Amino acid sequence: MLILQDLAKTYRTRAGEVKALDGVSLRIDQGEFIAVCGPSGSGKTTLLMMIAAMLRPSRGTVQFEDRDLYQMTGAARAKFRARNIGFVFQMFHLVPYLNVLENVLLAGAVARSGDGRARAEESLQRLGLGHRIGHRPSELSAGEKQRTAIARALLNRPKLILADEPTGNLDSQNAEGVLRHLQSFQRDGGTIIMATHGLAAQGFATRTIDLREGRLA
Amino acid sequence: MLIIRMIFKEIWHRKVNFLLAVLAATTAVAFLVAFFTASKASERETARLMLSMGYNLHVIAKDADVGVFLMTGLADKTMPEAYVGKLAAQNSISYNHLLATLERKMKWRGVEVILTGLAPEVCPPGQQKQAMTFRVEPGTAYVGHHIAEVLAVQKGDTVDVNGKALRVERCLAEAGGLDDMRIQCSLRDAQEILGLPGRITQIKAVDCLCFEKGDPVTTLRKEIGSILPETQVLQVKSLANARAKQRQMIRNVFAVMLPFVIMACGVWIGVLAIMNVRDRRPEIGLLRALGYDTVQVMLLFLGKALLVGLFGAAAGFLLGTELGLRFGPRVFEITAQAMLRPESSLFVLACILAPLFAMAASLVPTVIAVTYDPATTLREE
Ligand SMILES: Nc1ncnc2c1ncn2[C@@H]1O[C@H](COP(=O)(O)OP(=O)(O)OP(=O)(O)O)[C@@H](O)[C@H]1O
Ligand SMILES: [Mg+2]
Repeated sequence: MLILQDLAKTYRTRAGEVKALDGVSLRIDQGEFIAVCGPSGSGKTTLLMMIAAMLRPSRGTVQFEDRDLYQMTGAARAKFRARNIGFVFQMFHLVPYLNVLENVLLAGAVARSGDGRARAEESLQRLGLGHRIGHRPSELSAGEKQRTAIARALLNRPKLILADEPTGNLDSQNAEGVLRHLQSFQRDGGTIIMATHGLAAQGFATRTIDLREGRLA
Repeated sequence: MLIIRMIFKEIWHRKVNFLLAVLAATTAVAFLVAFFTASKASERETARLMLSMGYNLHVIAKDADVGVFLMTGLADKTMPEAYVGKLAAQNSISYNHLLATLERKMKWRGVEVILTGLAPEVCPPGQQKQAMTFRVEPGTAYVGHHIAEVLAVQKGDTVDVNGKALRVERCLAEAGGLDDMRIQCSLRDAQEILGLPGRITQIKAVDCLCFEKGDPVTTLRKEIGSILPETQVLQVKSLANARAKQRQMIRNVFAVMLPFVIMACGVWIGVLAIMNVRDRRPEIGLLRALGYDTVQVMLLFLGKALLVGLFGAAAGFLLGTELGLRFGPRVFEITAQAMLRPESSLFVLACILAPLFAMAASLVPTVIAVTYDPATTLREE
């Protein structure tokens, strides 16, 4: 489903060039739950952003099904992303002035994937947030915030979920809950690529990839 | 999720930012509204004063004896009638209501009268105003109150003035001055009666009450002197001139301050918008990640600016009108309250201009917002 070929990213900074990623080739099939591990600075986030069609590689290609992501126009890429990829971030990234339900529905505006509201509510129920629908993010616990983010990622029924240290700000109990929800998405046929430091998280993965200084170890 | 709903929710969430921005827009609009309300009132007051002042400018021939003119109100020398046409042909000048007259003292039926020939009043191009005096048709006469009484002249009589027959159109009401001693007829008739074809003794005019500094008569002399070198100019001084000058000065101070106030408010709105955009970097990154395009993100910020402008227009109009009405009467002592009124057309104007203004002030921050790279913003914190 995903073919990464010789992916490289070099950031140019005032202090000089930083090779964040340096020749990563990878094949990922539908239904996989991939854990991308590696020390801080090894290029995990960079890799995820490239797969997300948000960061143009300095070299190499990303093929999603049969499409080369970086051959598309920016607008097409944005639309493609909205329809096919869900995101979960370490920092949750919920919009502070919208309530839980509205935050989830935010993902539906661009994809226009039918009756979002019913699906959002149902999804929130399943994630144990049925009683929090009208709450603002500031009124939620960290675990609830991350589950809201998962509901948002699931709204458009994406093929792929990209999770960047989704459990980084959670205690072990909440972390496990979040991972279970991700796992159930995978069991329904979805694909997950998750950057993580945690060993517990790696336990849910079907495959673990190790990054060291921008290369596969 | 509708962009419009998001805008309202965000405003509610960050009330202080919004209120401060509205305050800036309010200040700008209030300043403008107060300024224009006062200016309109000023124009109306000037117009009214000009009318009540009557003709206060007198242009007479250069060789006329000023002493005689001041004592009798009559010039003892004539000048070409064509002069009035020359004056009237000028653009951007400081006088209006030009009236050419030919006046001479003469004996009529044993009584000293002033024969006064009146040309139709003319105005310079683009300054057409309603005439300040009546128009005398050829072959008719308007007879002053005293003459009519002493010589028993009546309306409808036909009188003979030095061989010229004139029908009395009207006997004028008592004026208590020189006018009671006049027989007023058309300029042509007067020229014929006096044997002075193509000549006049005086051009009367009204000054514009628009002088900011210096002595108005100096300016007027220079202006008219350059057009008609063979004349001299006298101005009847009045309190109106001094008041007009004071008003012009106040207006000028405002006019100088106006651009600064507007600019300061624009910067103020812009800075608030920048702060708002900074606060919302992660949100912008998220929206981009979710597939929102630049236009939608721009709408989010420009839509907010539009609301800032609309609220500012409404509040600013009320505040500006209130200020104008409260402090205006001190400036416009003569016409005061009667001339000061809310200018509702300004409200419409404010409702159009203020949102455009707020959006323009927010444009740079908005562009900054859409150029944020989501890949960068999403990794922050
Ligand atoms: N925008 C940028 N400009 C310059 N250098 C960058 C930029 N983004 C990332 N880097 C550098 O690229 C390298 C890889 O960063 P990346 O965020 O992908 O690492 P990571 O594996 O996700 O680390 P962590 O586990 O701490 O999140 C790091 O050395 C980082 O300093
Ligand atoms: Mg990272």
